[in-house]
Amino acid sequence: MRLPPQPGEWLDRSAVLPFRFEGRSYSGFAGDSISAALWAAGQHTLGRSFKYHRPRGILTLANHDINVMLQTPQAMNIRGDVEALRAGMELVAVNTAGGVDNDRNRYMGLLARFLPVGFYYKAFHTKALLPLWERLIRNFSGLGKLDLSKPALHTPKRYDFCDVLVIGGGVSGLQAALHAARAGAQVVVVDENARSGGSASFQFGGSVAGLQALRELQSAVAEEPLIRVLTDTTAVGYYADHWIALIDAQCMTKLRAKAVVVASGAFELPAVFSHNDVPGVMTAGAAQRLINRYAVRPMQTAVALVANSEGFTAVLDALQAGVKVAAVADMRSQGPTCAARDAVREAGVRVLDGWGIYEAHSGDSGRRVTGVTLARLLADGQADTSTKEHVVCDGVIMSVGFAPAANLLYQAGTSMGWSDTVQQFVPAKLPAGIFACGRVNGVYDSEAKALDGQRAGMLAAAHCGFGSQHDVPHVPEALRCPSHPWPIVAHPQGKNFVDFDEDLQLKDFYNAAQEGYDNIELMKRYTTNGMGPSQGKHSNMTALRILARIIGKTPIEVGTTTARPFYHPVSISHLAGRGFTPERHTPMRALHTQAGAVWMAAGMWQRPEYYAVAGRSRMQCIREEAMNVRQRVGIIDVGTLGKLEVIGPQAAEFLERIYISRYANLAVGMTRYAVMCDESGVVIDDGVVARLAEQHFYFTTTTSGAATVYRELSRLNTLWRMDCGIVNHTGAFAGVNVAGPQARQLLASLTSADLDGAAFPYLGVREIDVAGIPARAMRVGFVGEWGYEVHVPAEYGAALWQALMQAGTGLGIRPFGVEAQRLLRLEKGHIIIGQDTDGLTVPREAALGWATKLEKPFFIGQRSLQAIAKRPQKQTLVGFTLDIPGMATSQDSHPDMPSESHLVIVNGEISGRITSVAFSPALGHVIGMAFVTPALSAVGTGLPIRLTSGNMVQAQVVALPFYDAAGARQKEVSA
Amino acid sequence: MPWRLLKFAMSDRHPEPRMFTPHGQLKSSYDVVIIGAGGHGLASAYYLARDHGITNVAVIEQGYIGGGNTGRNTTIIRSNYLTPEGVKFYDESVRLWQDLATDFDLNLFYSTRGHFTLAHTDASMRTMRWRAEVNKHYGIDSELVYPDFIQKAVPSMDMSCAGHAPILGALYHAPGAIARHDAVAWGYGRGADMRGVEIHQQTRVLDILTQSGRVTGVRTSRGDIACGKVLCAVAGSTPRILKMLGLRSPIYIHPLQAMVSEPMKQWLDPILVSGSLHVYISQTARGELVMGASLDPYELHSTRSTLDFTESLSAHMVEMLPQLSQAKVVRQWAGMADMTPDFAPIMGKTPIEGFYLDAGWGTWGFKATPVSGKTMSYTVANDRAHPLIEGFAFDRFERYALTGEKGAASVGH
Amino acid sequence: MKIMTCPINGPRLISEFAYWGECKTMPEPADCTDAQWADYVFNKSGAPGVKHEWWCHTPSNTWFIAVRDTMSDVIEKTFLYGQQ
Repeated sequence: MRLPPQPGEWLDRSAVLPFRFEGRSYSGFAGDSISAALWAAGQHTLGRSFKYHRPRGILTLANHDINVMLQTPQAMNIRGDVEALRAGMELVAVNTAGGVDNDRNRYMGLLARFLPVGFYYKAFHTKALLPLWERLIRNFSGLGKLDLSKPALHTPKRYDFCDVLVIGGGVSGLQAALHAARAGAQVVVVDENARSGGSASFQFGGSVAGLQALRELQSAVAEEPLIRVLTDTTAVGYYADHWIALIDAQCMTKLRAKAVVVASGAFELPAVFSHNDVPGVMTAGAAQRLINRYAVRPMQTAVALVANSEGFTAVLDALQAGVKVAAVADMRSQGPTCAARDAVREAGVRVLDGWGIYEAHSGDSGRRVTGVTLARLLADGQADTSTKEHVVCDGVIMSVGFAPAANLLYQAGTSMGWSDTVQQFVPAKLPAGIFACGRVNGVYDSEAKALDGQRAGMLAAAHCGFGSQHDVPHVPEALRCPSHPWPIVAHPQGKNFVDFDEDLQLKDFYNAAQEGYDNIELMKRYTTNGMGPSQGKHSNMTALRILARIIGKTPIEVGTTTARPFYHPVSISHLAGRGFTPERHTPMRALHTQAGAVWMAAGMWQRPEYYAVAGRSRMQCIREEAMNVRQRVGIIDVGTLGKLEVIGPQAAEFLERIYISRYANLAVGMTRYAVMCDESGVVIDDGVVARLAEQHFYFTTTTSGAATVYRELSRLNTLWRMDCGIVNHTGAFAGVNVAGPQARQLLASLTSADLDGAAFPYLGVREIDVAGIPARAMRVGFVGEWGYEVHVPAEYGAALWQALMQAGTGLGIRPFGVEAQRLLRLEKGHIIIGQDTDGLTVPREAALGWATKLEKPFFIGQRSLQAIAKRPQKQTLVGFTLDIPGMATSQDSHPDMPSESHLVIVNGEISGRITSVAFSPALGHVIGMAFVTPALSAVGTGLPIRLTSGNMVQAQVVALPFYDAAGARQKEVSA
Repeated sequence: MPWRLLKFAMSDRHPEPRMFTPHGQLKSSYDVVIIGAGGHGLASAYYLARDHGITNVAVIEQGYIGGGNTGRNTTIIRSNYLTPEGVKFYDESVRLWQDLATDFDLNLFYSTRGHFTLAHTDASMRTMRWRAEVNKHYGIDSELVYPDFIQKAVPSMDMSCAGHAPILGALYHAPGAIARHDAVAWGYGRGADMRGVEIHQQTRVLDILTQSGRVTGVRTSRGDIACGKVLCAVAGSTPRILKMLGLRSPIYIHPLQAMVSEPMKQWLDPILVSGSLHVYISQTARGELVMGASLDPYELHSTRSTLDFTESLSAHMVEMLPQLSQAKVVRQWAGMADMTPDFAPIMGKTPIEGFYLDAGWGTWGFKATPVSGKTMSYTVANDRAHPLIEGFAFDRFERYALTGEKGAASVGH
Repeated sequence: MKIMTCPINGPRLISEFAYWGECKTMPEPADCTDAQWADYVFNKSGAPGVKHEWWCHTPSNTWFIAVRDTMSDVIEKTFLYGQQ
């Protein structure tokens, strides 16, 4: 029920927010969390547990458990305990059948005795039935439901920088920030809550003194210009070099700090007793947050189970909120006195020393606690059932201990040690630049916390070069132990939960150990403790204590499981960001689109696959583009090729070392095909080398190889330190290839250069003007017609294209794309690296033996090729033809047409594979290239090819090239 | 309700025996010492005991059972590889997987889901068709499928991948499956344990003792063991063991990262892998989405996580499955992948007599757990490489006889 | 994200760098056996340790050597080749 305004409450009562839960109407205030508003309205069954579908309510209210997991039409897996209430929310609990109050799956609880730890490994695996069981299990599991029709949500990312990042805005964190800033450091404080203050914002003990002190501290921080406080912001992961991922509702911020102070506090641990999961049983922190942040009375009548002074402080808060406290069971038989405990006694509350809760009761529905059975505790922690006493209550407040929220410390590489004094892990060895303070550091007393924060802040600032480490305050030793070493009471009926996410009870751990899963990692994986959405925040320490007792080891000997990002789950939308997929375009892009280009990706580049023509199919367009090259003149944009230069006295020698052929003897003004291998002798790239001058070469690479080749050549020259320099002009030059019987006439109309065969021979390179644009022109033979490859500075690319298209109108010019070029080069038997070669192809296998000059002094791959030459050749690339009736007129695919990668099958064995295949309009039949075993490589050999359907077709090996063997179309034929 | 669960209700005391016998001291000698109690090591121990009657075996494990890559991988099982030797090898593994739960009497949650390797470029389609043809030749159920088929299997997929990398088709492999990785180690472990094999956890190997090029024993952190045969199955730790013997190999270690979402109601049936986007995803029986991507780009002997891994994986995943932007990632982790230049393992004998190696498992090791156990146990028992692993010999690099598997794996999962 | 210090450009995010691998010394091709050559081509040092590696700062195409502990990922120093 809602209380009158509380000092320090987080509500804005002027903003009333109506919402719906499970189809019913409720309202809350701005500042409420969803669970708080529901609790205030009397709705206490807020969820159903994962396995047994037991009713659940508020447990930690700190996002250390997922009892309250909700869904709206807009969002999945909402954590009701910490999610801010908004007007109009339509909420349902996840994973119920028929609603949270009457979940039909609650009968699973009745089956609990059949479903012990690891039960799903023991059954369901009869081969015949597993698919059925699996379907059932899959339908049963899972929490929220993903809306498959939702479009992608893109949230932009931010970057941030600071000297000192303080994680956690409680008292010790704020003190750390203040002192770091006063030393001169730029500080960012992040806190996952809506406001800073940490436990000081709700552990009031019935008085406002602490709140006043907190407000003063918060003001001091607000006035400090070097401090930024980011609330509703969670540090979810620590990464190398102090790179921290910060998550808020809008986006992810990636922050680089020079030092990090972890002041993240501690997890309050639920006590373990039978039916400790019934709604109404909650941690002290949950009760105090309800009272002091949200002005909600958590229960009418409470029993408190405590083992520290924090518990008594919570009782005082409860009393102040009008809760009747029927009894306080202090699990310590001789707990030290403290002011809060004295005040509780003075208020007339019955305190039982050395007592615990044996079991909680909940009536038939199980939906709300109705009372507890207390019992004296024996030395080993078991209940002395002869002393059982029933106490009526509708709420239990537990304050039995803590575990440090040390996830980010672990992620940063901190080694933790065990402190017997405070019965928790504390940092033992912190990495450089990482500091810890407050409860995560084992410091619980308020004054000590403030000093600890000051200490950490000053050290962090000093680490960044601000202030000094010398006046760092001394933090007094802990005076008391805030954590009970065994807050666990066994019960024959069980239902004493350790991991509430996974419905794991005390006996599950004993059973797992009995089965041999008795180290901390195996125990986790077998029981799934800590593998649910809370990732062990409320359960790992308890599980560790249980295992330690079972195997007779200390907590430090047992060890912890690995803490990994993320501290709280992070939305994929935040991780994905807006997404950025760059594309590279040539300068002629718009012109291609205007001409009807259908685009395809070539690595990061976009290239025209072909140019669409109304009324013609894709295949027809490609064939017609190709035929136009053979009959008239075609033009293709080759600007995506890698374009490099090497210049200097040792330029020729450099090329000799990186390519398999000779270049020292390449005449100035001539070009030569170039093949590159890696150190193991495998072909990795090809191109054309042009010699512009004695010490100046211009050479190309494949489109996809450009960047890696350039980078590797740079590395080689760094290593070899040859007297030459390498330049990458790939993006700086545009390039076109004009080819066909009319190509020379076309070019002649745009240049004054002498294009006669004597002046500009086949394979020559000339620097000429084309349409007034300074260009490098090379006579090339890739597509098998008279052709020129023209490279110009990129800013002239579009002008060059337009000039050629214009000049070529009367000559029948037509642009052609990648597919037509593939077809044309295939007719000439030219290989494409990566298509007609694979990750193991060496030159001799790809008919490049002629280009391999093993007699050179050195080239990359040479020594390996020498070793390989001694071994039998494994495969050979051959040309083949195939006659398929009807292919000439077929529009697109023909059922008997083989595809690339179809296999050659001889005597039932795989004996080869097609690498390229197409119907050649110039030749009138199907042509292709295939790798075959050397035994099948002789011209005239039959190649049986298996199609996808399983049918066989018969091809014949022929000599390459298929078209114009003498090369008369592309060069001068000597008389 | 399966009948076998009734016994849990009948008894007050948990009626289950120990899976793994705790052992005190190491004996002074064993016939075989296996280094590594991961899936492969335990599978080898299991088959050595069950099929070859060799039970005087110690499995030495520096951490806990299955704590290495066996406990970290993303559990994809398939046989749609590129090379004949790969296909035959992994096919045998898939065969063995079918009966494993029955052999162990332990549910492995072996779930046949169907596996798509998506192709976004024509080069990729060529590779997929190549794999399909080789698979079919060996009787494996794989085929090249086109966008309609894929869209039907995953109606919510954006086939254009946000317009950046339209899906042209895929290699569809119906037998593709997932399983509960830890349970495989436990099953093999228990099976070996039951037959007398000793599993010693928290025990480090400090050195391997040899004389005249032959194994004589193992030095551990808990004492020396004499033995004539050592099988090394330690994945990411392989180079450290090889160094003890002065053996060089092409193995290089890079982290391989993965991440998992919160559990959600079932919606993704098949396993999806994209070569161009370099991402893959499947949904477990618990409802979690397990996701991964490519190898980390540089050598590192650590299982540390990076934020950029989650960022680029998420960005690409959302292009393919836009609705995923609502889902949340709970945890990320990594394993240490022992990579080889030809994306195939290194298995069998080595230049040191009595030292057998099962390594080079890169991103393809979990699915091979049963067949690696089968073939390595044969190899150790007979001191001769099993026929299925002849193509994966230790000395193949020296002979320039690399396998051709690299074409298949842009993201080898 | 991890930081690598380019000898020319200073500290940059590691995503700006390409990793080539451990520096290795090429044996004289004429003087070594096929097996020795194959060892040079394919084999690696493998085990973790402090290694000299080739790295490239790709936006500026700066190749350099990094001395890095491949277990802890601590980069001890970076320098241009030949300028230890």
